[in-house]
Amino acid sequence: MELLAQVLVGGVLLGGLYALMALGLALVWGVLNIVNLSHGALIMLGAYATYYLFTGTGLDPFAALPITAIVLFVIGWLIQRGILNLVIRGPMFNTLLITFGIEVILTYLAQLLFSADFRAINPPYAGNNFRVLGITIPLMQVLAFAIAIGLTVAMWLFLLHTRVGRGIRAASQNLVAARLYGVNPRSIYALTFGIGSALAGVAGGLYGTVSQINPYIGGPLTAKSFAIAIIGGLENPLGVIVGGLVLGIVESLTALYAGSTYRDVASFGVLILVLILRPTGLLGRTT
Amino acid sequence: MPGKEGLTLFFPEKMAERVLTPVETRAGSAKRTIVFVIVLIVVAALAALPWYGNSVLVQFGISVLLLATLAQGWNIIGGYTGYASFGNSVFYGLGAYGVAIAMVQFKLPFWIGMIAGLVLAVVFAAALGAAVLRLRGHYFAIATLALAFIMTAIVSNVEIAGSNIGLVLPLLKSDVLFYELALGLLVLATMTVWWLANSRFGLGLISIRENEEGAAVMGVNTTLYKTLAFMLSAAFTGLAGGIYAYYITFIDPVGVFDVGLNVKMIIMAVFGGPGTVLGPVVGALILSTISEVLATKVTSIASMFFGIVIVIAVVFMPRGIADVLRRAGRSPLRYFVDNVRTHRL
Repeated sequence: MELLAQVLVGGVLLGGLYALMALGLALVWGVLNIVNLSHGALIMLGAYATYYLFTGTGLDPFAALPITAIVLFVIGWLIQRGILNLVIRGPMFNTLLITFGIEVILTYLAQLLFSADFRAINPPYAGNNFRVLGITIPLMQVLAFAIAIGLTVAMWLFLLHTRVGRGIRAASQNLVAARLYGVNPRSIYALTFGIGSALAGVAGGLYGTVSQINPYIGGPLTAKSFAIAIIGGLENPLGVIVGGLVLGIVESLTALYAGSTYRDVASFGVLILVLILRPTGLLGRTT
Repeated sequence: MPGKEGLTLFFPEKMAERVLTPVETRAGSAKRTIVFVIVLIVVAALAALPWYGNSVLVQFGISVLLLATLAQGWNIIGGYTGYASFGNSVFYGLGAYGVAIAMVQFKLPFWIGMIAGLVLAVVFAAALGAAVLRLRGHYFAIATLALAFIMTAIVSNVEIAGSNIGLVLPLLKSDVLFYELALGLLVLATMTVWWLANSRFGLGLISIRENEEGAAVMGVNTTLYKTLAFMLSAAFTGLAGGIYAYYITFIDPVGVFDVGLNVKMIIMAVFGGPGTVLGPVVGALILSTISEVLATKVTSIASMFFGIVIVIAVVFMPRGIADVLRRAGRSPLRYFVDNVRTHRL
């Protein structure tokens, strides 16, 4: 029983991080109508940015996250303005394919620059943990969870209550009408993709503190983010929290009962099942 | 000379593309004959290659021919039917494991292994197709991608498949045999696609690509057609995997269920021209050659090469080389600029 509780807590903590990973993908998908297959690669870049800020300057990894976010925002902004903008009105398959191409470039660029070695962000307090009701809770995972959930909620408030946030939501609902009200789609699209990348970057930094990173983590993370976005639906940014928690718990339980090699099988199995049984998402309507 | 209706039945692909290219004349028939003769000569020259080329060229040939077969297999489901499968590598892996398991675990001859791999891939495609082919667009693409990730993990846990260690096949040192087998398979795949382009079945697939609801209303059994296309695609991909397994003599889950293989087959088909008969073959030949040259000159960039080609191809020539050639009269620069102009925001 204690083991089960321990595993469930681990799943929830992981789920929070998953939610943040999926948030950027869901945002870009909802607004630009692009399923960004390079999202996982951006998460990977964020992880490396945080890693090098930590090892290079000795900055605390959590303090380095805002810098990672800025770096990834710029990268995302450039990708959107420089490449995606050129094909955004083309057929869906073309936009999907081009983000796939960007994924390949980023992955091998990372392999070239950072080598294929596994790396982990390990600040001195990485091994600390505390016990609540007989359950061991690692400090790093709690911090990652708290930051991830905090950012997701902050993003939700930003979209609801700020002028730019309203512009983004307007562009996702009806681009023509939004234009009539003075929303510039070009800048809104670049901004949205930039924010999506920044969120991916922060998620990557947090991922690096709780797990190992290498240049190839992007693909599976994209698929997981997609699964979470599907489960949660694109309507409400808080949907990804539900999706993330579902996936985190399913993965942890699978690792407990079937072995950790089946972890990914479970999460992608959930994805395929949800797609087949309820393609509009568990919580709401998807575009 | 057939009447207009006869033409419709005989050149369904041309009719479907009439919206895009209104320039279509009787000269097209003569042009087809010329293309056919050229293809025949090229195939004959390729078949004779082991007798005038060196062993390095033959080995390179095997890899190009197999990749071209994969691109052609993808062309059936992705190019003609319009369902962008990111999971065809699964069929490749199943074909490879069919041969490996039959030869290593049951000591059966190669050709029985090929049949086993073929059956495995096609049955899997049928079962899977019934489920995932109901999904459209992004959803289908990602579901198949997720499947490709799953298969590596599942096969790594199957004991008869050698778990995650893999299987070592008996060695057969006859590159010429593998070369001719791969060439034969590619010719078969291309002839099948040519038949698709000229048959009622193929027309049904194209109508699904262009407008699925419309196709269903016109009496096309879309579910059946899509599933058959998926199975056909799986058949050629699986056979290519089978040849590869015996040729390379060692397979493991990560190697043959390689998701990166999807990148290659898709980009080769798209670069050459999805939904055309020869486009994917030409795409595979050009891209493999450039990639091979890069790999020997500048290794670091070679792996990024396919990503760069995808980005450039999608931006400047989203309908592939076939479409660039079709508009040979116009300035290519202008063609590229026009493509960007139509699709940018």
